[in-house]
Amino acid sequence: MPTLTVNGRRVTVDSDATLLDAARAAGVEVPTLCQFDGLEPWGGCRLCVVDMSRANWDDDWFKVVTACNHPVEEGMMVVTDSERIIETRRVVLDLLLARCPETPLVRRWALEYGIERTSYTPNPEPDDCILCGLCTRVCDHIGVSAISSVNRGWGREIAPPFHQPPPDCIGCLACAEICPTDCIPYETSNFRRKIWGKEFEMLRDPKTGEAVITREQAEHFAERSGVPMTYFETSDRSKRREMAKTFEKLQVVK
Amino acid sequence: MRMIYKVSVERCIACGKCELACAFAHGSEGRPAKTRINIHRRGPELGTPIVCFQCDDAACVAVCPTEALVRNNETGAIEMVRSRCISCRMCVAGCPFGNMLWDDAYHCVQKCDLCGGDPRCVPFCPTGAIAWVPIEEAAIPPEPLDRETLVFEGGI
Repeated sequence: MPTLTVNGRRVTVDSDATLLDAARAAGVEVPTLCQFDGLEPWGGCRLCVVDMSRANWDDDWFKVVTACNHPVEEGMMVVTDSERIIETRRVVLDLLLARCPETPLVRRWALEYGIERTSYTPNPEPDDCILCGLCTRVCDHIGVSAISSVNRGWGREIAPPFHQPPPDCIGCLACAEICPTDCIPYETSNFRRKIWGKEFEMLRDPKTGEAVITREQAEHFAERSGVPMTYFETSDRSKRREMAKTFEKLQVVK
Repeated sequence: MRMIYKVSVERCIACGKCELACAFAHGSEGRPAKTRINIHRRGPELGTPIVCFQCDDAACVAVCPTEALVRNNETGAIEMVRSRCISCRMCVAGCPFGNMLWDDAYHCVQKCDLCGGDPRCVPFCPTGAIAWVPIEEAAIPPEPLDRETLVFEGGI
């Protein structure tokens, strides 16, 4: 278990922890946008940068690294609030604010670092997507990979292949739920669901008629788990009712 | 002492106090529809409380792609770690008993976490249909409930 120093505070963490874990263990807040505990760290938003110095380096020699995916080492020294770190984060937020001048999440973080208006030319077509990649990573993680980032530079965006309704999408809405700026539009009702331009038919409980999940989702789960498709047609309410019926037999009423 | 959540189906009178207590304890604006314990009502004063079994080999834990459902060894409850949940709802589809619930207001799944070892629904149960007992007492059959002599105070 390596021991390291974060902002002068000594902290001991697991050997597979990251600098971000160490900072959190020391009670130091490091801003993040693309980090999510359940997913692999990515280092895409560059907001979690910190100054890091290894044990065998000169005392005043520090390197700027992303905290979310940098492994910890014995005797490391981490500084999260040095002048150049604050300046780096300001540049990142300034650029993000130029891209998304109207997004509340970005504006809130920018204001925290004293930026009210971007010093660059604001995006003439404001977009809420901050390209954090959480949606594509969550889609990869559940084994679907229906969407990805396309193009490069300022043309980069998150989209399904060829901007067509993605054939692999199962309509689970995990991408829309995880999006920190809620910028993935979807529609859902008892009968239909629509996301990324693809229409889904909802499976409905044969007894109560409630919508359960999409047919594609049930097929995906069935394939993954080896459980027959019909298992996923039952809603949770229906399952509870079935279970209650089993217990009724135990109930003795005077 | 290891404690266990005990449900005595034959003592339930379907009053719904546990549902209300749960809805308030978990901050879902006290909406009884968003409780984690559900009473299946099947007649006047006849109900079956349905709540998570905290299965040993749980389907929800097995299907979760991000290991967001972990067992708390102290209480024995399987708890949902909000910061790891990606809202894919695989656990809702996977639970064979319908005890994983989707909360539309908070956009995450909800499940019984035994309130960290002090289930809030238990003190509100007027007939002792749900109880929090030492594990040795779990198999003791419950006293039958004499429904004829039940007295309702302050009711209509």
